[in-house]
Amino acid sequence: MLMKIISKILLALSILLCSSCVTEFIPKTTEDQEMLVVEGLITNRPEAYAIKLSRPFHLGLNNVSHPLSGCNISVSDDKGNSFIFSETAPGTYTSDPTKFQGVIGRIYTLHISTNFTNNVLNYQSVPVQLKPVPPIDSVYYEKVTFTEGPDGFPSQQGAKIYLDTHDPANQCKFYRWEYYETWEFRLPYMVPNNTCWLSNNSDVINIKNTSAIAEAKVDKYPLTLITNSTDRLRERYSIMVYQYSLNEDEYLYWEKLQNISEQVGGLYDIIPSSIPSNINCIDDPNQKVLGYFSVSASSSKRIFIHDNFAGVLSQFNDKTCIADTVFGASNGPIAWLGVNVWVIINHTAPPPSYRVLTRTKGCYDCTVRGTNIKPDFWVGDK
Amino acid sequence: MKLKFYLLTISLFISLQLSAQEKYRISANYNGVSFKEFVTKVESTLPVRFFYMDEWVKDLKIGDYKDCSTLSCIMDNVLSGTTLFYYIDDFGNVVITNNYAVKVTNTTVDKTNKYVPPSDFSNSAESQRNSGITSMEIGNPAEKNNPGKVVISGYITNKDTKDPVPGVTVFIQKLSVGAISNEYGFYTLTLPRGIHALKFSFIGMRDKSLNLSLYGGGELNVEMSSVLIPLKETVISAQKSVTLQRFEVGAEKINITSFKLLPTSLGESDIIKSVLLIPGVQSVGEGSAGFNVRGGSADQNLILLYGAPIYNSSHFFGFFSAVNSDIIKDVTLYKGGIPSRYGGRISSVLDIGAKEGNRNEFAGNAGISPITTHISLEGPIIKDTLTYILTARTTYSNWIFGMIKNPSLHNSRASFYDVNGKLTYDLNKNNKIDFSAYTSHDAFRFNSDTTYSYNNNIYALKWRHFFNSRFFSSLSINNSSYRYDVSSQFVPAEAFMLSHKVNSTGFVADFNWFLGRNEINFGADLTKYTISPGNYLPYNDSSLVIPNRIQKEQAWEGALYIDDKFLLTDYLSLNVGMRMTSYFALGPQKVMLYDPELSKSNSTIIDTLNYKPGQLIKRYGGPEFRVSLNFRISDKNSFKINYNRTRQYLHLLSNSTSIAPTDTWKLSDYYLKPEVGDQVALGFYEMLFRNNFEASAEIYYKKISNMVDFKGGTDLIMDENIEKDIVNVRGKAYGLELVLKKTEGKIRYSVGYTYSRTFVQSVGNFSDEIINSGKWFPANFDKPNDLVVTFNYIFSRRISLSSNYTWSTGRPITYPIATYYVSDKLVVTYSDRNKYRIPDYSRLDISLKVGGNLKSHRIAHPYWTFSVYNLLGRQNVYSIYFKKDYLIVRGYKLSVFGRPIPSVTFNFDF
Repeated sequence: MLMKIISKILLALSILLCSSCVTEFIPKTTEDQEMLVVEGLITNRPEAYAIKLSRPFHLGLNNVSHPLSGCNISVSDDKGNSFIFSETAPGTYTSDPTKFQGVIGRIYTLHISTNFTNNVLNYQSVPVQLKPVPPIDSVYYEKVTFTEGPDGFPSQQGAKIYLDTHDPANQCKFYRWEYYETWEFRLPYMVPNNTCWLSNNSDVINIKNTSAIAEAKVDKYPLTLITNSTDRLRERYSIMVYQYSLNEDEYLYWEKLQNISEQVGGLYDIIPSSIPSNINCIDDPNQKVLGYFSVSASSSKRIFIHDNFAGVLSQFNDKTCIADTVFGASNGPIAWLGVNVWVIINHTAPPPSYRVLTRTKGCYDCTVRGTNIKPDFWVGDK
Repeated sequence: MKLKFYLLTISLFISLQLSAQEKYRISANYNGVSFKEFVTKVESTLPVRFFYMDEWVKDLKIGDYKDCSTLSCIMDNVLSGTTLFYYIDDFGNVVITNNYAVKVTNTTVDKTNKYVPPSDFSNSAESQRNSGITSMEIGNPAEKNNPGKVVISGYITNKDTKDPVPGVTVFIQKLSVGAISNEYGFYTLTLPRGIHALKFSFIGMRDKSLNLSLYGGGELNVEMSSVLIPLKETVISAQKSVTLQRFEVGAEKINITSFKLLPTSLGESDIIKSVLLIPGVQSVGEGSAGFNVRGGSADQNLILLYGAPIYNSSHFFGFFSAVNSDIIKDVTLYKGGIPSRYGGRISSVLDIGAKEGNRNEFAGNAGISPITTHISLEGPIIKDTLTYILTARTTYSNWIFGMIKNPSLHNSRASFYDVNGKLTYDLNKNNKIDFSAYTSHDAFRFNSDTTYSYNNNIYALKWRHFFNSRFFSSLSINNSSYRYDVSSQFVPAEAFMLSHKVNSTGFVADFNWFLGRNEINFGADLTKYTISPGNYLPYNDSSLVIPNRIQKEQAWEGALYIDDKFLLTDYLSLNVGMRMTSYFALGPQKVMLYDPELSKSNSTIIDTLNYKPGQLIKRYGGPEFRVSLNFRISDKNSFKINYNRTRQYLHLLSNSTSIAPTDTWKLSDYYLKPEVGDQVALGFYEMLFRNNFEASAEIYYKKISNMVDFKGGTDLIMDENIEKDIVNVRGKAYGLELVLKKTEGKIRYSVGYTYSRTFVQSVGNFSDEIINSGKWFPANFDKPNDLVVTFNYIFSRRISLSSNYTWSTGRPITYPIATYYVSDKLVVTYSDRNKYRIPDYSRLDISLKVGGNLKSHRIAHPYWTFSVYNLLGRQNVYSIYFKKDYLIVRGYKLSVFGRPIPSVTFNFDF
């Protein structure tokens, strides 16, 4: 936090001294990517838990994941039970919710065994206790107006979403939150699939250490900021927040990860290094493991936002949809042009009848971006 | 004509050693009579005749000279302190001369077997012909043929300010013998009898030559005049004969006049930037605070101002030096061969010699540059007795922020100031007291809710006492403190104030004794440290922050030292010294004990030790040997070897590549051992082409143990038990430094090339204490190749051009090598520490100085400096950083001063 403030000051200073001195740069590195990435979370929620195994991908490459199939995964507890995880999708191993549900106070250990090129490697996590978590007191938002922006443009508004929580027992000092956003969006045309829902996961680390504060209390923690330049706030928006309580080791893991992930490499930034996982290879200590085996109770809270916000939608501009206005045409490919078109406006009365076509399917069918199945938690219209 | 004027004003003082057979005895008491009356009376009673000019003696009166029963004794006394000399010949003629002593041409030589041949009496006539070279004699000519060598010594003072001038080289080319004046301006030389050509030289001062007829030991005090405007010397240099003479391998003296001519960045002469031009000194990046000497980290440099350490040596996080160049008289950097009077840091000592106020008249200087403005005033309060100097510097950069439209920058501020003051009081001839004070302040405000500021303060009181002309002492007491404060109301519920303080009070006693061929230095120092590691407090009542004050640390550091420089033979000199240090970490303190089987962390604490106030927690210490050998192969070259050990009890905890603004100082404690450094260096120095060129080669090897590094990603702010995050590392460094300089003439240049490597190895036992699998890896500031070229062209005394070019290998960096997801968050993983390097660094600066009318310098002497920093506009990489941009991690390179930065500075002296 502090370092970020100071980095900002320095950046401001250096920008003053030099206006065009930041240029994009992708370093050339020569490293193999044979590391094991483990993502795992065990909670006390009655659901299937997933452990994902993969290989990391090169810097500068977008989202090319390399799942690891064919591994054996199990989780054992301090009562001598062992629960097998089975591979349900490439690289994703899930538990059987009828057999395994996390219990507060139990200590869990993850076991992984990989077998590539006839080389069996066994990995094991540090035993982690499932700690209780207090409920979230409230999740709420404030309307914010951004005055920044070029002159002559209308002001942009958005919602800043905050969270309050506290632990009456004063035990839970370290918190982590994950959120899942869902929002309804509508196409501005009377097409069959006009209303859809889209979901997104939190993509930054949200943690808080309350040990420096008198009560185990979190006041107005800023979870996320939504600007009205996306279509999240257009119709109805919902955010589901999960709260986890961490032990200090896991908190430090996330904190270090945050320290080296958000922005690194500057002169005043912490010298980056790989953050040690709580999973180690038993057979070969030189095998690098990335990721963490998290165990925590979880509480959750959902809110809806249905409010009016000012601002121009920069994404999904209506104008990009319209290709042409034609008289008498239908859905489907136009053979002589070699393109697909969709009818977004079919005007029949009063005459003359005409149709407005689009070449962007997303303008005609909202399921291109989202789903037209209303989520079961969705309340309100449709 | 001008030259003649200067030579005439050069005045020499000489006291003649009187011959045993003084024949003119005086019994009457002439106390109070004028010189003319005295002459009349003496001429009437003794067979002598006086020759002089009335105007020379019109103010002279004979005093009450006890035990003076000879004519020469009275003459000695009455003429001392004037520019007059006298000579009594065999016929009773008493000749008084002004400004120069009469050359005695008594050539009746009694040959004895023990006669030490004078170096060369025959060339005296030729020397005399060199117009303007003063001749003088010391000792009784009758002793000319006595056996053995004789010792001359004296003080060198600045003619204008009457300040002692340290660092002056006294050199006799023919014998290749020389000496350097010490901090009191005192020098001593052991010479054979005979006629010698002495040359006194010092950067920024007019060279002074004189022919000395040496018959016996005596005192030779010299006044040197400074050059009118600082155009004369332009190169940072270990001076040529100094290089041969000094014991230390790797000691560099920078004179203020030389670095003021260096190209400036943003119009400021900057001492740290000048230091960076010395081979073996590097920095991690442009505008980074601190510097690295021979592979040492930035906190391993002892930067002394008024004898006290400066804890933060920069303004604006490193863009400017914290010390205003107006107060600097000279700067000495010891890269190696650290004299035993210095201790407490491993890598280097940067001793900033501060100016004293002008003793004769009021003087001042003011200037303005794009970022700062400064003024300096000095003068006597009581003439020749009590003087002051006061300098101040401040920025006016805040208005720039006010003009920026961007709202967060519009409300941001950045400024600094510093003030220096010094009072010097001469109690009498043998006692001198001075008091110095320094304060610096930096303030930043970001977006009106977050502020950051830091301050340095130094106070020093020093008493210098001269027991006699060969034994000096200096006692001083000083206090230096540094603090920073951060506050933020960014999140109202967590509005906080954070502060860190370090305070040290030191007592230093130094003794300096010239004993025949020995120069013995001994002394003691004692320092008390108090550190407040961090106070984290609520900003206001609505803040929920729990006040958290990390326990203060306190410790005493004491040292006794002695060293002796002595001439074994004319060609071999040795300096042997030892510094014995002891360090005591004292309570109150709560020390955590950890499970020795596990890596230290909060969850492996097994017990707590509570130390009461004043209770000893841990003691460290030991002897530090400092040895140098200087072997002069001929009068053109010399070879030196040196070894030194240093210990460091105070550490700057830094988890970033450069010193970060929030780095904190930490004392050695129960866990943190003192760093120990050992360095061996060899040097070879040669003068080439009629001494116009100077070449040197130095190699060094250095080992450092108990260095501090940190477990990956640790945040050090408000870390109560720092030992759990520390990784113990050790370092080694070696290098070769080559320098070729041309130091005379209108065109001067120097080329310095350094090849050096610095490696670090972690020595921990647990997986999180091991960096790069325990292998040696390059340190953050390992820049193997470093080339520095400086070039000066002095068109005239009014106009000079200087430029410097530096090129070096890029510093090492840890690159992200791959990305992966952890619970849907894109994160990066890194290569081994410092496996890669940023691109090479290269920069050319030029500057042109134009002085005003020379004749008017007494009223106001203006001069302009036009400079361009980074003339080639190369976008040197300051840092490479990585930022997550939605689904992709992107790298960016940032260059500060990525284009030519012109600046104009206007200064004037008054």
